[in-house]
Amino acid sequence: MTVTHEAVPGGGPKRSVPRRRRPLTFDRVSFMVVFLGLPLAVFVIFVVSPFAQALWYSMTDWSGFSSGMNFVGFDNYVKLFHDDIFLKAVRNNVLLAIVVPIVTIVLSLTLATLVTIGGSGTGTIRGLRNAGFYRIISFFPYVIPAIVIGLIWAQVFTPSSGILDAALSKIGLEQFKDYAWLGEAKTAMPASMFVMIWGAVGFYMVLFIAAIRGIDPEVFEAARIDGAGRFRTAISLTVPLIRDNVQTAYIYLGIAALDAFVYMQALNPGGGPQNSTLVMPQQLFTTAFSKGQFGYSTAMGVVLAAVTMLFALVVFTVNALTGGRDQRKAKVGR
Amino acid sequence: MTTPNPLSRRLFLQRAAVGTLLATGGSTLLAACAGSGSNDNGSNTGGGTKSADNPFGMADKATVEAIIFNGGYGYDYVTFAADIAQKKHAGSTFKVSPSTQIAQQLQPRFVGGNPPDLIDNSGANQIGFNTILDQLAPLDDVFEANNYEGTKIADTLYPGAKIPGTFDGKFIAMNYVLTLYGLWYSDSLFKENGWEPPKTYDALLDLGAKAKAKGKYLFVWGKEAATYYHTMAVDGAIKEGGDEVRLGLENLKENVWSMPQFQGIFKALETMVKNGYFVPGGAGTQFTAAQAKWSNDQQAILYPSGSWIENEMKKATKAGFNMKGIPEPTLTDAPKLPYESLRSAAGEPFIVPAKGKNLAGGKELLRAMLSKEAATNFAKTRLAPTIVKGLVPADGFGSTALQSQSAMLDAAGTNIFDYQVFGLYGMNTDQLVVWNSFLSGQIDAAGLTKGLQQITDKVRNDSSVKKIPVTK
Repeated sequence: MTVTHEAVPGGGPKRSVPRRRRPLTFDRVSFMVVFLGLPLAVFVIFVVSPFAQALWYSMTDWSGFSSGMNFVGFDNYVKLFHDDIFLKAVRNNVLLAIVVPIVTIVLSLTLATLVTIGGSGTGTIRGLRNAGFYRIISFFPYVIPAIVIGLIWAQVFTPSSGILDAALSKIGLEQFKDYAWLGEAKTAMPASMFVMIWGAVGFYMVLFIAAIRGIDPEVFEAARIDGAGRFRTAISLTVPLIRDNVQTAYIYLGIAALDAFVYMQALNPGGGPQNSTLVMPQQLFTTAFSKGQFGYSTAMGVVLAAVTMLFALVVFTVNALTGGRDQRKAKVGR
Repeated sequence: MTTPNPLSRRLFLQRAAVGTLLATGGSTLLAACAGSGSNDNGSNTGGGTKSADNPFGMADKATVEAIIFNGGYGYDYVTFAADIAQKKHAGSTFKVSPSTQIAQQLQPRFVGGNPPDLIDNSGANQIGFNTILDQLAPLDDVFEANNYEGTKIADTLYPGAKIPGTFDGKFIAMNYVLTLYGLWYSDSLFKENGWEPPKTYDALLDLGAKAKAKGKYLFVWGKEAATYYHTMAVDGAIKEGGDEVRLGLENLKENVWSMPQFQGIFKALETMVKNGYFVPGGAGTQFTAAQAKWSNDQQAILYPSGSWIENEMKKATKAGFNMKGIPEPTLTDAPKLPYESLRSAAGEPFIVPAKGKNLAGGKELLRAMLSKEAATNFAKTRLAPTIVKGLVPADGFGSTALQSQSAMLDAAGTNIFDYQVFGLYGMNTDQLVVWNSFLSGQIDAAGLTKGLQQITDKVRNDSSVKKIPVTK
């Protein structure tokens, strides 16, 4: 008869002996089935299998309304890369994925810094006076659904009757009288980007505020004692310390920008002047439902998914190459 | 004491994953083929016996489901017809539901093989006809049947009622509302200023100058409806050059947009854009807001549109506007088809899917809609005639626009034409982009020609798009 080591509280010198597994009782098996098997099944059925299905459909000529379809291999993809309108949409999406996240993050980080550590230079570290008020105000746009934001701004941009034209002509900028902000190829994309950024800044500001609050205030106090100004503190302290949050925000915003369907559909349902605001999901939508080419549009969806994953990969790589990984290691090591 | 663990946690997870993958993998394959389910020919005629009162043999106590596009005309006119049909077929249920997302809502039902019995396939989200052609029931027998008043339906309709719903020789869509395309204006405004409604593009240019002198614009456009000018130009060119132009378009000919008829009209439009005869900023204006600049603010004096315009702008039309319509202008005063000829086609295509549960019921509801009572109700409440002729009184139920519609139709006689190419191949979205650029002056007539030709060429060269040749 031996006494198992586990039975000795505190462990003996031979603690390294592998712990014996408990026997597989009905309880444990049923537990595993319910808490592991079931979620896994749900995930595979509702998440993984549609992906597989999409891949299959993208290689057919399915019209979307019939029951029959033929396998056409990679024809749809070949066609895609010769489709000037779709390629234009890809370019627009890429442009959005570059500009919208950068501007949004810079703006929201600035605001977050102001309301958390941008306040008085004496006493404890705090934000501007009435910081709570600003925080609430800038969060407002996020409470409004994207479609409503789009429709409101479409009205603001309307020539002659929109607020923007009226305001600009009032202050003497007569050249903007009757200017179609969303109707000119030069301004349609910047105007649409502005709306997306306007809608997102509040949320990311709140996200960054939470991140900054998580930093030990003594770090900021120490920096201040060393003579660092507010700008220097923000660049050299805040940004590196909340680097992970910034990366997450960049990826979220990038995915939102690669979609952008709701905003663009509300602002310029037709894709904008010379297709300057057309995005992939819009083209996918018309191809599927008004042109009745589901196979082809599924191929567009697959490309969209590929571009999104590529985007995430690029962001991770850039972050790692610029020192994000060392930072994390340092943090873990600490 | 030492029972070796037969199933480590990791192994269990692996096996669970593989198991679920296998299980769902199988269902994935099944689902991937879900598209190919239910191929049985469900052309159930209804199960009832055919008789004079029941020409399609609808079963007793059957249910009929209709999905109606809820747009400018609403959908209660079908409910009205359903009530009439209900009275004829006591015990049966006619269910009419509205929808604004026809394609999105009905796509899974077409795939699943259980579409509704009657659909008004209309609006911005209509299903492209070339995708569902082979799933629709031919409707010839509806027009052969007698209406509720006992007359053969075909004899009660305007000539050519079948044309817009006939694809590849198969009549599968009954277009209910008679639509004609013209140029609309305020009679009172024109009288006040002593202007003549223009018949040619030269006259249009003259009028543009006169309007400008009064501080008004000739035309206005909205971003979603820039292609109304496309319709005006195409119709003008067809009147100018006859069938040659029309068949060239319908059959997606190379260089069709370079024909002199188009070039003359595009040049004239280019001059109008350059001279500032269009209200600026249309490419950024929502179309009904733009239309109100014509019907309410009277900034613009003319608007090219279909005859639905009166109903559409009913609430945004200035009192005493006296809306009237004239045929679309031609390039010269000696066109091949007379100036009075019209593009007129019935709109609001009603279709009966061949796989519907109650094919006969769908047709029966169509018969009710074509009854005198239902058609009169439509004309009276929507101020638009249906394809059932002779139901609009001389006073047009008090509407000057409706009066002028009757006058235009009378003057046109048999000189009625129509084409389907742009709707059939879903080209409107792409054309909108080009027309918005053109009307805002970003591209000239040559750019417009190039843009439109590219769209046509793209469809022609796409082997995956089924082409429907048009020969007459």
